[in-house]
Amino acid sequence: MEINRDLILLLLPIIILQLILLSIAIIDLIRNEQTNGPKWIWALVIILINIVGPIIYLIFGRRP
Amino acid sequence: MQWFVIFKKELLENWRNLKWIWVPIVFILFAVMDPITTYYLPKIMDAVGGVPEGSIIDLPMPNAQEAMMMSYGELGMLGVLLTVVIVMSTISGEIKSGVYEMILSKPVKFTNYVSAKFLSIMLIIIISLALAIGTAWYYVMILFGTIDFTRILMSLFFFTLYFALIVSIVIMVNTWIQSPGLVAFISLALIIIFNVLTNIYGHILTWSPALISDYIGEYLASGVLISELWYAALMAFVFSIVCLQFAIVTLRNRVLH
Repeated sequence: MEINRDLILLLLPIIILQLILLSIAIIDLIRNEQTNGPKWIWALVIILINIVGPIIYLIFGRRP
Repeated sequence: MQWFVIFKKELLENWRNLKWIWVPIVFILFAVMDPITTYYLPKIMDAVGGVPEGSIIDLPMPNAQEAMMMSYGELGMLGVLLTVVIVMSTISGEIKSGVYEMILSKPVKFTNYVSAKFLSIMLIIIISLALAIGTAWYYVMILFGTIDFTRILMSLFFFTLYFALIVSIVIMVNTWIQSPGLVAFISLALIIIFNVLTNIYGHILTWSPALISDYIGEYLASGVLISELWYAALMAFVFSIVCLQFAIVTLRNRVLH
């Protein structure tokens, strides 16, 4: 599969946004002492599920 | 003055929740996904394979307006869902945790409380929508073709009014029930019923705010602002005010305990 240079350049902003989202979720997970459910499961969810994982954590994982 | 204090408290809380960072990012991702995948669908199918030798697949490439409407459609579905989830615990969570009693133990006007909450949320939503539509517009310009900036700006304005209606519906439901999950469920049910009714009686209810995104599609294609769009926007505005007023009345009649 040939990876097009233009495609990479085009998608770069989106990849960066996605990485920001992922790092925010991870930093928040580390900083929070209490989460809804075990921390290591949330870590797996955030890292393994693309885009949706961090969103789910930020909505449901944080304890008010 | 009092209004501003509550407004500032809400802004600070949304900042500590990190909502100011992740909501715009998620909105942008939602808006951008569809046009890009549509553009690259033929290439993706080539790369993935599984297409029988010699078969010709002719996928029609959408024009710029259609691609832009994909973004609006995605925001109208997932964006609304996300908005409901963000707003679901804004008052009900405070009633549950006791923050509500703490705020209301001071002589705070219910009008100030509800409107400050509404505006602080709308500020996030407006900025997120503007960023998302702007990014989608950028990609559509690169991949599909040009659309006038004024058309994007006007459609963004009408779309924001639709979201204002969604936010005020969820705030209204917030004052009825304390469980955030149930609030989200009932609000979504209300929004879906509203959309279905509009779809069934669309020929009568031409002023329904649920038709705003349809009208935006027509407007992007033709560039003519039809009067129904203005009336639908007006209706969205009026309904938002009514929902917020309902929320204020419900809170006023609630006994503090």
